[in-house]
Amino acid sequence: MGSTTRFQSPRLIVVVLPSRRRLLHPLRFPPPPPPAKPHRRTFHFTPTLCFSQPQTQTQTPTQPPHSQILSIRRSLLSRSVTALDLAESHLARLNLAEPRLRSFLHVSDSVLREAREIDEKIHRNEETGLLAGVLVGVKDNICAINMPATAGSKLLQGYFPPFDATAVKKVKQSGGIVVGKTNMDEFGMGSTTERSSYQVTANPWDTSRVPGGSSGGSAAAVSAGQCVVSLGSDTGGSVRQPASFCGVVGLKPTYGRVSRYGLMAYASSLDVIGCFGTSVADAAILLHAISGHDKLDATCSKLDVPDFTAQFMSASLLDSQPLKGLKIGLIRETVNDGVDTGVISSIQGAALHMEALGCTVTEVSLPSFSLGLPAYYILASSESSSNLSRYDGVRYGNRAAAEELSNLYGDSRAQGFGPEVKMRIMMGTYALSAGYYDAYYKRAQQVRTLVQKSFKSALAENDILISPAAPSAAYKIGEKKNDPLAMYAGDIMTVNVNLAGLPALVVPCGFVNQGKTRLPVGVQMIGAAFDEDKLLRIGHIFEQTLQCSNFAPPLADSISS
Amino acid sequence: MNNLLIPSSTALRVGTRALLRLSSTSAANSNRIWIGRSAFRTQSPARIRKLTRDFCSRSVPDVRRLAETARITLTPEEIEEVGPKIQQVLDWFGQLQAVDLENVEPAIRADTEGDNLRDDVPEVFENREAIIAAIPSYEEPYIKVPKVLNKE
Repeated sequence: MGSTTRFQSPRLIVVVLPSRRRLLHPLRFPPPPPPAKPHRRTFHFTPTLCFSQPQTQTQTPTQPPHSQILSIRRSLLSRSVTALDLAESHLARLNLAEPRLRSFLHVSDSVLREAREIDEKIHRNEETGLLAGVLVGVKDNICAINMPATAGSKLLQGYFPPFDATAVKKVKQSGGIVVGKTNMDEFGMGSTTERSSYQVTANPWDTSRVPGGSSGGSAAAVSAGQCVVSLGSDTGGSVRQPASFCGVVGLKPTYGRVSRYGLMAYASSLDVIGCFGTSVADAAILLHAISGHDKLDATCSKLDVPDFTAQFMSASLLDSQPLKGLKIGLIRETVNDGVDTGVISSIQGAALHMEALGCTVTEVSLPSFSLGLPAYYILASSESSSNLSRYDGVRYGNRAAAEELSNLYGDSRAQGFGPEVKMRIMMGTYALSAGYYDAYYKRAQQVRTLVQKSFKSALAENDILISPAAPSAAYKIGEKKNDPLAMYAGDIMTVNVNLAGLPALVVPCGFVNQGKTRLPVGVQMIGAAFDEDKLLRIGHIFEQTLQCSNFAPPLADSISS
Repeated sequence: MNNLLIPSSTALRVGTRALLRLSSTSAANSNRIWIGRSAFRTQSPARIRKLTRDFCSRSVPDVRRLAETARITLTPEEIEEVGPKIQQVLDWFGQLQAVDLENVEPAIRADTEGDNLRDDVPEVFENREAIIAAIPSYEEPYIKVPKVLNKE
């Protein structure tokens, strides 16, 4: 481990050390079979690493994250563990953490049955998919059959969609088990998960803080080990910002890479389905499983989907400068005033790490960057005012009692939607009004052109661009709840990527200290359209060579306190 | 100037159709559709600039009217409460008025790939019962709603 590739800024090395003790789990899990290989956070195989060896406080770097999906596959196929064991222990952990985290709006009652079916298949030596036995959390705005789908809204309370979203169908076809539906800001409109109509999800690193949003439930669930990987959706950063807040890997694919059939539309020109995992490899494997053309989504690309992990190498096989020759652009506008200094130094640490891996890192300027935020909110509100018109109480969802039809619409929507959703619909209605359309919606679309062009030229000069995923680490629950502009401002790092439709990967890269609490920070890597392959390869090497790579949250503290 | 783009009696339907066009027509076409609804269409470029500059300072949204157009019943207290918040965000949106966007083509979405439209052929959805089960009030073969009265 002493190779020169393990360059690390001193700050990052220091913060690695105290983490182990906090990971001691006060509750004993049943002793698992002896692990074949140490493995981060798959406590079923190796509770030793994460939970029961506080005494091994040494100066040695923590293990780089491994693919939980591949470990599960190896263990199942070698018959060292059954899918049922895995499912049971995950469910136990889910239930243990749930009272504190509230990540799930619904937990499937067929997980164990599905696990048994996988065991039977393996027993009969039948072919199983790459996700066989993998528990997948699904954001509640993505439809899964036989499960409710509310998108965090009272309006859809009790709604059971009659079909699987294409992404969910593909997960199931690969053998994945949908463990449940994760909490979210209502219809994706929020950055904290506080705007769910049902519950507020807590951050596993500090339960007094938000997990980010809108896919906060999916991020918190993966971070806390309530499921292995999860699906989220990203309209303006809803996968990447919670990934940063919760210390997990978050992947927003290129617009058009993944079918959106069965994703409840918020802003159709921006929405994508994305992936959460505890390693880049897991996010990549999940993306591969859900990608590809779908005739049910006209915006879904016909381009081939490469095997993203085919060229992944384990850390021990990498040479000293595995990223030699690559050009990285650090977006200047994202490390300016207004960004938390701890976040900036984490990102600078990440840039130094990339330099040590052989990259050339230069600052690039995207002059239209700050315009992206108002443009994004105009486009998203406008499109949502149209998309959410379908929730009228007629064909599904809660219907208000009314004497005439227009009151039925108005009352059903008034009772069903929360305040933020109402506000965004009305802002969008305003922005699309005659006389205001050119000044708002059209101007925002013109800004989108500028943003697309500036990314294009920056990516012509660089292999990828990097920036923080959010201007701060996770903040306190309630801190920004009543100030819409303060919350919108938190999306500055991510919305431009949606305007340009580019893929972006968030990888945990460091910590900031908030008093006694250590909170994770992620670096956002942005690639060219449909170039997830390169993005994931770089992200994988970055993650495997990062020294402070233990991003398992101190959930033990919160459960015991 | 204060006419709303979407006639309130057909608000829901028109909005949805307009957005469908976003994903199913070329950029040039859908722009024409939108601009066709705009009051600015017949104005000279200089006049448009003046208008966009001017209205930001003077436009205060009529929240009651907006809520009605968006089909959301609001109490007077709610209107009172949400009005300043909407105003605050709209003022913030107004910063785009200062940006020189002359000769910049609008982009309707990510510049990634063209449309992949499927053939316009009806298909049978197998799980019809589940769709019907989700309807709040259903009487074969109709969805039941209360009487339709048009206030206009």
